[in-house]
Amino acid sequence: MSLLAQVDPSEWLTPERLAAALRIAVLLVVGFPLLFVLAAITGRSLKKRLTPQVAMLVRKGILYLGGTLLMVTVLYQMGFRLTALLGAAGIAGLAIGIASQTSVSNIICGLFLIGEKPFAVGDVIKVNDTVGIVLSIDLLSLKLRTFDNQFVRIPNETLVKTPVTNITRFPIRRFDIKLGVAYKEDIARVSEVLREVATANPYCLDEPEPLIMFTAFGDSALELLFAVWFAKADFLKLRTSIMREIKERFDAEGIEIPFPHRTIYTGSVTDPFPVRVVKDEGKGRPAE
Amino acid sequence: MDVWKPTGIELEACLRSRIGPLSLWLRHLGDEMLMAVERVPEADAVDEAAPLAPVGEAAPETLTWARWVVGADVNVVQLVPAMPDRPVVVRPESPVRIPTGHEALLFVSIPLWVKVTVGESRALALCEEPTVVISGTWFGDPTSGELCYAVRTRARRTLRDSEVRPHRAICPVRIRNTAPEQLDIQRLCVHVEHLRTYDADTQPWTNEVDVTFEGEERPSRVDYAKGPPALGNVGDMLSDARTPLTKGLLRKTLVSFRSFAGM
Repeated sequence: MSLLAQVDPSEWLTPERLAAALRIAVLLVVGFPLLFVLAAITGRSLKKRLTPQVAMLVRKGILYLGGTLLMVTVLYQMGFRLTALLGAAGIAGLAIGIASQTSVSNIICGLFLIGEKPFAVGDVIKVNDTVGIVLSIDLLSLKLRTFDNQFVRIPNETLVKTPVTNITRFPIRRFDIKLGVAYKEDIARVSEVLREVATANPYCLDEPEPLIMFTAFGDSALELLFAVWFAKADFLKLRTSIMREIKERFDAEGIEIPFPHRTIYTGSVTDPFPVRVVKDEGKGRPAE
Repeated sequence: MDVWKPTGIELEACLRSRIGPLSLWLRHLGDEMLMAVERVPEADAVDEAAPLAPVGEAAPETLTWARWVVGADVNVVQLVPAMPDRPVVVRPESPVRIPTGHEALLFVSIPLWVKVTVGESRALALCEEPTVVISGTWFGDPTSGELCYAVRTRARRTLRDSEVRPHRAICPVRIRNTAPEQLDIQRLCVHVEHLRTYDADTQPWTNEVDVTFEGEERPSRVDYAKGPPALGNVGDMLSDARTPLTKGLLRKTLVSFRSFAGM
């Protein structure tokens, strides 16, 4: 006689078991779809009031927490002893936690970054030597697009541990240009020329006023700092135009930008530097 | 002023208008309207506002033409004065000081933008061109504020015929000092997007701006008159405000010597 033939359905399908099966079916068929709908509605409504990252966090939190509660309830309805399961989960959790320290650290750091808001999607930031536009701020990492169109993933833990420069946080920025002019030049005239260059450039703001500072007596030149302010959206246009305009104006005014140079003395200022011409034996002419 | 009146433009016609430093060239070819712009430095400009009129000579070859497909049946073009598209920071050439309890009326001249419209009743706006390219400036501290245009002005207390410039609108600004301290005006931020322009004999006017200074710690109250100014021989409205206002504003409008020195 087969095993199935030995089972009496009327003994197995008791009213209590049928009720439990119905409860499990309701939980699975209604509970999970309802959970997804609830998470989606909550996420969409929070997006209008909070940042997309926080809305994503809340939506995923509802999904994972709700899904876990539903599964535990289903298992309980099926008659599993949860205390043993929780005990096993605790031990497994400890093992997984030790193994996934970095991931958990990244998640925690991600939460801190979302709360602190040092930058937002669309900002241009610099992390170590990497400069790029923030594409997304996720739980484990940040995604950047560099200006030469490379995709960079930076773990959140790195962002919390290292200085991050948000280049586009404020609406205006200053562009600093270090210049050197020959020692023979008149600083006041050079300053006036630079001021005129800034006034004529459409991307330089009138205020805050451009800064012209005589910074040092360099080895080869008088060193100046010329700093102009601009709206952050005009960075590229300003940078390409003002450097060219300075050069053109200096050329027109006869202001020299010297190369680095050294003056060599032979021991006496007035005696000429001795030169000895050596004949190249192989080719019959003086060596060059 | 005739320069702001509608002008007929026939097919194949070429018209030119000169408003101070700005020259606008318009051509109607087929179903397209073409426009080109010429500018001279404001210091070299003739103070005239010549309406659109057929040109005897050929347009210079150096012009860069922009094209709009408007339809062959469009035969009217009109130039409309407009205020700049950003607030304007006015810097008096010499600081103006208003003692406590006093008020002063200043006349500030603001460069106009010219909107080119075609069709009956200005049905279609093609573009806007500034009569003068003004440099940008920042009003506020480096972390917050607003991007504005910078205008240097004498901030006159009276008007004189010899200073007529038809490419600029006269904006009367009344400043009342109700604070206990003297007000030294270094800069004045005028939100020109709330101003209308009105026709007058020699150059457009705007509605009056009323600023009440209540102290360094509080934003100034700014009110914009609803109608044309009572001063000057001012006629009909030429253009409405870019952003009409229905009530007054509390705004950081004035920078006095103390707050400027503290920046």
